[in-house]
Amino acid sequence: MRVKLWGTRGSVPSPGPETIRYGGNTSCVGITLSDGSLLALDAGTGIRNLGISLPPELTRLHILLTHLHLDHIQGLVFFAPAFRAQTEIVIWGPASPEASLRDRIARYISAPLSPVEVRELPCDVSFRHTPETEWEIGPARIRAASVAHRGPTLGYRIDDGESSLAYIPDHEPALGADIDALEEDWISGFALARDASLLIHDGQYADDEYPDHIGWGHSSLSHALSFARRSGAERTVLFHHDPLHSDERLDRLGVEARKHWVELGGKAEAVELGSEGSTYELPVRVPATAKAT
Amino acid sequence: MSQRPLELILARNLMSALSTPAFLVDEGGVLIFYNEAAGMLLGKRFEELGTVGPEEWGSLFGPLDADGKPIPYDELPLVVAVRNDRPAHANFKIRSASGSLQMVEASAFPILTAHGSRGAIAVFWPASSNGGAHR
Ligand SMILES: [Zn+2]
Ligand SMILES: [Zn+2]
Repeated sequence: MRVKLWGTRGSVPSPGPETIRYGGNTSCVGITLSDGSLLALDAGTGIRNLGISLPPELTRLHILLTHLHLDHIQGLVFFAPAFRAQTEIVIWGPASPEASLRDRIARYISAPLSPVEVRELPCDVSFRHTPETEWEIGPARIRAASVAHRGPTLGYRIDDGESSLAYIPDHEPALGADIDALEEDWISGFALARDASLLIHDGQYADDEYPDHIGWGHSSLSHALSFARRSGAERTVLFHHDPLHSDERLDRLGVEARKHWVELGGKAEAVELGSEGSTYELPVRVPATAKAT
Repeated sequence: MSQRPLELILARNLMSALSTPAFLVDEGGVLIFYNEAAGMLLGKRFEELGTVGPEEWGSLFGPLDADGKPIPYDELPLVVAVRNDRPAHANFKIRSASGSLQMVEASAFPILTAHGSRGAIAVFWPASSNGGAHR
């Protein structure tokens, strides 16, 4: 399984000279499975560049949406494969008692917010509510589970051969709970992340910012690391960076994260802040000689 | 043990922060949590008791009607809520761990999701106390 980060920012695109290294595009991760099939996790503005990178002859891909906040769907109408008649796109997302996934997404892909309507998209697009039980896409087993955020929100786990990826970009597992003290089965998202080769997890706030954002649906650095450590993930990428965090600020948070991770008993090199364009081959084997940076 | 559904996790997190005595059962009717306020009402903390299977937990607390006769398990508000997916309310007596009887009011409501029932929550209130938080 090959993983590439196309958008690592949370909340709102934040382009500019201060965010050039970690990137300003919102959430999108591209996955190439062991048989070559393609998945996109979320469709923030990062999916635009993913679309540009794909060959025009691509016939099928799946988009797994965690939820429908704009930073996770904004790129859909700028995704090149959606405008090619030969492409079949299957969009998965959370069910809601209020309206179908298609109808909820159509609130964005419709006038006056969008120049095109869902029915006008040239591609063959279908919408599916994620099932409660595991399902298969190509060689991969996919699992979705509701996680603590604001509104119906999923995390995903993708198992392909020996590799496993857990993707929980918007997550506040410590809301009203002490994740260091809770039993594992009472921690939101825990089963998705358990022993994953790679965990991509919300790390939006610095610890000193979190008290002003309790209940906003995101993690502090310490909460994200506690969650990651308890889950046993081999490697953790902190993701969904706050739009206010410049590259410099994120560098400092990265140093803090690795220090904290070592205090929790982990290896410094097993934690990093996600940067747009980074790629990971799974399973990840962190070389024993790797040095912390 | 398998992962608890998010709705039960959030329910427990909320209940943990409340001074309203509250009980939580899963979709199968297993008592999976009650908060400290409920523990004070019963005279036993949840951590001492742990999860209790359906049918079993009813008898832990009595419950008795105004004449002192045991109330059938099926008629308890929490059981009605989890089995029938609807709210339920009742007044009855419960027996605390110390053996004393106390009249309570109980309201239960189901936890329904896009994927069906996850369980139910019941809040209890001493029938003798008239307003004011149970502290
Ligand atoms: Zn987001
Ligand atoms: Zn969100």
